[in-house]
Amino acid sequence: MSEQAPVLDVQGLTTEFRVHGEWHAAVRGVSFQLARGETLAIVGESGCGKSITALSVMRLVPQGAGRIASGRVLLEGRDLVPLSEPEMEKVRGNRVSMIFQEPMTSLNPVLTVGFQVAESLHYHRGLGRAEARRTALALFDQVKIPSAARRFDDYPHQFSGGMRQRVMIAMALACNPAVLLADEPTTALDVTIQAQVLALLAEVREAYGMAMVFITHNLGVVASIADRVMVMYAGEVVETAPIDAVFARPTHPYTEALLRSIPRVDRNTTELQAIGGQVPAISNMPAGCRFADRCALVEPRCRVQSPPLTMLPDDPRHHVRCWVRGGETSVEALQ
Amino acid sequence: MTATLLEVNDLQKTFTVRRGFPRTETVHVKALSGISFRIAEGEAFGLVGESGCGKSTAGRALLRLIEPDGGQVLYRGENFLTAPGHRLRQLRQKLQIVFQDPFASLNPRRTVGQTLAEPMYVHRLGNREEIQARVESVLDEVGLPRAAVEKYPHEFSGGQRQRIGIARALVLEPELIVADEPVSALDVSIQAQILLLLDGLKVRRGLSFLFISHDLGVVRHFCKRVAVMYLGRIVEEGPTEEIFDGPLHPYTQALRDASPVPDPRAKVTMARLEGEVASAINPPSGCHFHPRCPHAMDRCRVEYPKLRAVAPGRQVACHLHDMAA
Repeated sequence: MSEQAPVLDVQGLTTEFRVHGEWHAAVRGVSFQLARGETLAIVGESGCGKSITALSVMRLVPQGAGRIASGRVLLEGRDLVPLSEPEMEKVRGNRVSMIFQEPMTSLNPVLTVGFQVAESLHYHRGLGRAEARRTALALFDQVKIPSAARRFDDYPHQFSGGMRQRVMIAMALACNPAVLLADEPTTALDVTIQAQVLALLAEVREAYGMAMVFITHNLGVVASIADRVMVMYAGEVVETAPIDAVFARPTHPYTEALLRSIPRVDRNTTELQAIGGQVPAISNMPAGCRFADRCALVEPRCRVQSPPLTMLPDDPRHHVRCWVRGGETSVEALQ
Repeated sequence: MTATLLEVNDLQKTFTVRRGFPRTETVHVKALSGISFRIAEGEAFGLVGESGCGKSTAGRALLRLIEPDGGQVLYRGENFLTAPGHRLRQLRQKLQIVFQDPFASLNPRRTVGQTLAEPMYVHRLGNREEIQARVESVLDEVGLPRAAVEKYPHEFSGGQRQRIGIARALVLEPELIVADEPVSALDVSIQAQILLLLDGLKVRRGLSFLFISHDLGVVRHFCKRVAVMYLGRIVEEGPTEEIFDGPLHPYTQALRDASPVPDPRAKVTMARLEGEVASAINPPSGCHFHPRCPHAMDRCRVEYPKLRAVAPGRQVACHLHDMAA
């Protein structure tokens, strides 16, 4: 990682949702930094807050139902949280863009794919119609849509899932963003198509020098694309570490259990271990550690007080939120 | 070698679809172009492939949930496809199915108790008390509280709903369960719970499974033998470990390489397969895989390779391995 200022710096982000008239935190005190050109994977199961984290960065949390309660989202040094909606619209799709899991529902079905890619070039970069079209066509080639010129005026339903995701990527790249947020971009795709899209993402990241936040529940995908991993559970970061450290030495009991619960294709899983129980409901979070009820190492203190995110003594880049396995130095205290 | 429980021979299904507007056209989708396999007693047999390869159609056609166009399904030697109505009903008790989506496959307006009891009423298996007792014992077996009887599906999480789906398949004491992507809609930690439950059923009840999945890791864990499908045909079949450790068909190889492994050192092997799965409406001539195959030869463009044995228990449909044989 370079010493220069992070391109995205999220500090103490808490996003709340209203459930039966009360606000509950879906994401609580999430902090992370993203260096230029780095890929951070956010991993976790349904409801852990990984998507809400990305939506908060994009300021796309549905208003009324949800709100950013506290925290700062610094994109290239500028805090996005206090921006007005018109100001935010200039940032979205320009300096930071996002691609979603289901490309069919995130593309407009009544507009041609070419138009949708050219639109953001027109809007953010002020290109004329012909020039926007030319640039968009170049993007189509770059994301390897075959016979791009012929398919430019097709509608989303005429594309396969993998091709739609390429259109989404072209749209996201149009304005050369500093940060790309990819929310489960390959989950809906078949594995051979997934491999193509992952390779494409790695390639464009290299070409554009952008940073990427890759959200997924699939640890196999994480292993093949990420530089660094952040594991989330029930709205909190429970472990973050460089990619090799997470797989070589998963330290939080949740991360460890997660890795043990995946049947692998490359070797026989002698003992598949399930994690008993379920994620606690957003409106009924325990007082202590949120993983305590499902944890094999649980101790009395785990149920009393929520553990801080701590640094492992021998690896300052490996942070763990656990009373039993964590280190002595709290990461929050350092910041 | 244990006795064959289910034998599928040359199963075929073509869907006829009318599409287009304003001028409609009729197209034929060859979902199954004659697939054959056997499942032994107590064996878990996997069927893998990507979307649209026909794996789910195979599972449904052999149960006659979709009426197949041709072929044979022999259950303990008896042809399931030509069985008359009353016999079919008896045979159906022995062959049950678990669906992928635990949200869509349970009737939201019935309590779990009603859902579980219905098959037994349909098959006239016992009186009210016996049925009640059976429902309770099955709930115990799948790890759900007995209080679940009074509840509705929406009160359960995805993993619990899948347990209900499994319980529904079990109440008739089947011998074979067709499990169509039973864990694909679940989170990994829940997926492992369900896999362990199915493992237990396999051992305790000696159940046989036709396990349909796109996840090679899950198949490797659960199935002893596996068949790989591509565009309505089986392209390779054999013992799971051998197939995934030493795939012969280029498609199996690509599938294997594209399957992510939770190990950062393994990422270099992520080879890419060009192109996408061709349409089953107008499949490529010769070997259906040849437009994407890195080893395609002239012969592959004209002649579909036969599925032939290359080693004990291993079959592959590829011209590359014809020559070796």
